[in-house]
Amino acid sequence: MAERTGVIHDLGYRRYDGPRDGTATIARTLYVTGLRHAFGLGRSGKSKILPFLLLGLCTLPAAIVVGVVTLISLDELPIGYASYTTQTQLLVSLFAAAQAPVLFSRDLRHRSIVLYLARPLPAPVFALTRWLSLTSALLVFTLLPQLVLYVGALLAGLDVSDQTTALLKAVALLLLTTTVVAGITGLISSVSLRRGFAIVGSIVALVVVPGVVTAVQAIAQAEGADDVGVAAGLASPWSLHSGLADAWDAGVTVFTPPSGGWVVAYLAVAVLVAAVTTAALVRRLMKVASR
Amino acid sequence: MNATIVRLAAQALLGRRRFWLLLALPVLLVALTVLIAVLTDREAAWPLLPGLGYPIVLPLVAVLAASSVLGPEVDDGSIVYLLSKPISRHGVALSKWVVAWAATLVAGALPLFVSALIAGGGDRAPAIGLAAAVAGTTYSALFLAVSALTRHAVIVSLLFVLIWEGLLGNLLSGVAWLSVAQWGLRIGYEVSAALPDPTNLVWAVLASVVVTVGGVWLAGDRLRSFSLRGED
Repeated sequence: MAERTGVIHDLGYRRYDGPRDGTATIARTLYVTGLRHAFGLGRSGKSKILPFLLLGLCTLPAAIVVGVVTLISLDELPIGYASYTTQTQLLVSLFAAAQAPVLFSRDLRHRSIVLYLARPLPAPVFALTRWLSLTSALLVFTLLPQLVLYVGALLAGLDVSDQTTALLKAVALLLLTTTVVAGITGLISSVSLRRGFAIVGSIVALVVVPGVVTAVQAIAQAEGADDVGVAAGLASPWSLHSGLADAWDAGVTVFTPPSGGWVVAYLAVAVLVAAVTTAALVRRLMKVASR
Repeated sequence: MNATIVRLAAQALLGRRRFWLLLALPVLLVALTVLIAVLTDREAAWPLLPGLGYPIVLPLVAVLAASSVLGPEVDDGSIVYLLSKPISRHGVALSKWVVAWAATLVAGALPLFVSALIAGGGDRAPAIGLAAAVAGTTYSALFLAVSALTRHAVIVSLLFVLIWEGLLGNLLSGVAWLSVAQWGLRIGYEVSAALPDPTNLVWAVLASVVVTVGGVWLAGDRLRSFSLRGED
């Protein structure tokens, strides 16, 4: 492509010589807009229903747990932080599947991507910013219930250092898992532009495949072939999350927990999947941009 | 019923990538059943059906089929060309439903029956086959109606299947009275007692028929007063 000298606001009128915000400002604005759009903020009223319905469904059990802990004064939370995410993974998956197309499909389907890229923002930065918006949205979605649990636990007078350690472990796991989930759903929705099919594709990756993995692990454990189950756990983001949480003693138990070298393999696969899907996302956007 | 619309809907369903997605789900289910049956024993593969095949693969196939016959046309607005033809809107809905229904049976209920035969068989196989056929019929009509009602048909259908029938259905047994999957199971229970028997038979049959007929009628009715809207 030839070196671009003018951008879309250069229409040949008298030039603007004042200060211009650079790429960083554009990227930051785009990031904030993307994050708001993932929750339907700044969009029509109808678009707010689904994300907030799911967020409510995901947070309600945490509030109930806090209520129970307070009322019958337990000395520990009946459900751990990391295991809370495992229990609500269906809601997180639905949120990711439904909102990733909002950030990735719409611009490509309506070709408004051309307008974004006419600004001095490189396509890779655009892709990474969108990806970061989705990751952050998923983090907000998964961390809100954890915060409710944490604040509730502290107010109920549970041990501060225990709770903080457990929470930090869960947050570290979530940082890894949300990047993987955002990479997968983002890539699927940037390839499959029909909203419905992107959603079904993400659901297959985030609900069906983990269901298959869990079934295989249960059977492997019953048959005494634990290694098969541990290897199967590499195949889905949620089994990676639960497997790592189990190995790290974060209050989650899986049928076939990984140990020794397998933990490293789980970690490596998670990082690799996150990196590869993000790189593929950047490539996809660059391909679209060069058309 | 209109043969041309049936043919066009079938082409829309079988054309391009979505066909592979539709095909991948049943193939995955059967392959997994075969793998487990070969590696361990046939009995060990059975839990896959009530745990994965029936509650997830079957409705996903129905969602894909029902939204593929109507969704893309509504999405890109080309449905107005179809609706401008002097064909009864109920005829359009019925023709489209027949295609979605056939696809759900072939790609959803049939693989479930085959998997059940591989996983031990006995009278459980025809039972879950019947349950899947009944639930598949009801699902396809219900999801077709949802496709005609809202642009967010896929996510609404998935919420119904995964949250209402799946998550809440496991926690609250009363959900069985308003769950397509449980009606199917109740009818399959008549063939084999190995299936659970949630509600009662009369209710299950009546509800399945009402939702199927009502779903197709509602889809036709929505097409009668169809208005094109922009994206929200």
